[in-house]
Amino acid sequence: MPRRRIYDPLTELLAAVLLVVLVLVVDRWQFSLAVLVLVVVPAVLLSGRARQIGLAITLVAGPLLISSLLLHGLFYPEGRTVLADLGVARVTAEGLTFAVRMGLRMAVFTGVLLTAAMTLDLPDLLASMTHRGWNRKLVFIVGSAVGLIPHVALRGHRITRAQQARGLVVGRSPLSRIRALLTVMTPLVIGLLVDASERNRMLEARGFSSSVARTSYLPDTDSHRQRLARRGMVVAVAVFSAAWLVVAP
Amino acid sequence: MSSPLTLAPATGGQRPRRLLVVLGGALIVATYLFLVTVQPAEIAGGMGSVASLVTLFGFLGGGALLVAGILPMLSTSSLVVMPLGIALNIAIGQIAGSLGMQIYLDAIGTVLVAVLAGPAAGAATGALSNAIWGLFNPFALPFAAGAALIGLLAGLAARYGAFRRVYLAPVAGLVVGAIGGLVAAPVAVFMFGAAGTFGTNAIIAVFRSMGDKLLVAATKQGLLSDSLDKIVVFVVVALIVYALPPRAVRQFPFARTHRVLGGRTGALPAPSPVKAAHGGGSGVA
Repeated sequence: MPRRRIYDPLTELLAAVLLVVLVLVVDRWQFSLAVLVLVVVPAVLLSGRARQIGLAITLVAGPLLISSLLLHGLFYPEGRTVLADLGVARVTAEGLTFAVRMGLRMAVFTGVLLTAAMTLDLPDLLASMTHRGWNRKLVFIVGSAVGLIPHVALRGHRITRAQQARGLVVGRSPLSRIRALLTVMTPLVIGLLVDASERNRMLEARGFSSSVARTSYLPDTDSHRQRLARRGMVVAVAVFSAAWLVVAP
Repeated sequence: MSSPLTLAPATGGQRPRRLLVVLGGALIVATYLFLVTVQPAEIAGGMGSVASLVTLFGFLGGGALLVAGILPMLSTSSLVVMPLGIALNIAIGQIAGSLGMQIYLDAIGTVLVAVLAGPAAGAATGALSNAIWGLFNPFALPFAAGAALIGLLAGLAARYGAFRRVYLAPVAGLVVGAIGGLVAAPVAVFMFGAAGTFGTNAIIAVFRSMGDKLLVAATKQGLLSDSLDKIVVFVVVALIVYALPPRAVRQFPFARTHRVLGGRTGALPAPSPVKAAHGGGSGVA
């Protein structure tokens, strides 16, 4: 069961971004590993959606980590300590070290941001952006695009099935595939543009172009203390980063 | 007297924020130049902490400034088509996968919006597309500035006639793809050590086996992959917009004013002098 929300979505997103910045600034594999084990894993386990988030992180980061390991593990011309010579490819200690360190960074990057995004309540985020006075056009685009993605995917799937019922066969040649893509894309885009045209008229009729302040149906989950905390976090990370980059060897 | 159904029109606050656009563009260019020329440490000699931070803040900050400057300038008709472009970018990747396509096609929505609504809308669509995609796939996030550049260049190509003839579209796609590949390469290298799909990494591996530095190998791969991808994307978008009913194209002032599809734009015929003199003849077909 999803956890009860404690903080404003903007506070959670900012905390996740600042954590990624810290990992980039510190740039030590020990710190990356510590963030992964002590922050990301507990956050995923306590999120109430551990299975879905774990699966998403694996699907997004897994292939990249494997391809990175193969790339740097086998092809690293800067490497001097050769562990195995496979002709064109050479397994080097330096290449494997680089792949592991970069892999840790990528795992933290994916883990932190995906956990924050997947525990996010989008209507809450949009309401928070409205309450904070963010550009209403930006709020509209983000909310509308996220709502449209499953609609477009479903519509595209239905059109694909309809075209297959009419005899669409996807051959192996690139031209045949592009032709198949066009038979699906053209009706999909025409339908979406007609919808957009209708939406344009409806938005204009409801005063979308007006610049007056907007109200939100959802209550503001932000507080004065959280706003102070956000500013404090940004200042603390900025000061720490500057000091670390100057002092660290 | 009945009250108006709509809110009062905007009286202020809608002025174009060209300064933000210029600053955003300058930040992106400066970041790119820093990464490829000033940055002395090759990433494969260390993790490049400063380079990673510059990449993240330079490209993301530049993209954010561009979006902040562009959004207030956009009309509602441009605005409503942008979520469509963003959703297409993300969803078409899945459709392409189900059809067995081996290229990404993740910029079709961006290029479509750029052709119909102009370079500004295209740039904002590209940047926001990657920002929203970042909610599902964080690896897309740092490439937001590159996506904005693709949208901007696609819009400019449309403005100057690259979509008036179908054979011009792949030429424009080749140029835009090459520039996009150049910009994307440092992001991939300094943020993720050039990690990508198995296909793109295989190309990088070929160049690395020949002794190229990681940034050079990733740049060559970007030039190859992105150019091919954008050639296909531009041709597909050109064929889609040619198939659109003229009414759908006419709703976009950019496409109408600049006749981006040439004779296919379906521009309204000019009223005849006789009809115009009588104040009639709207010219609607």
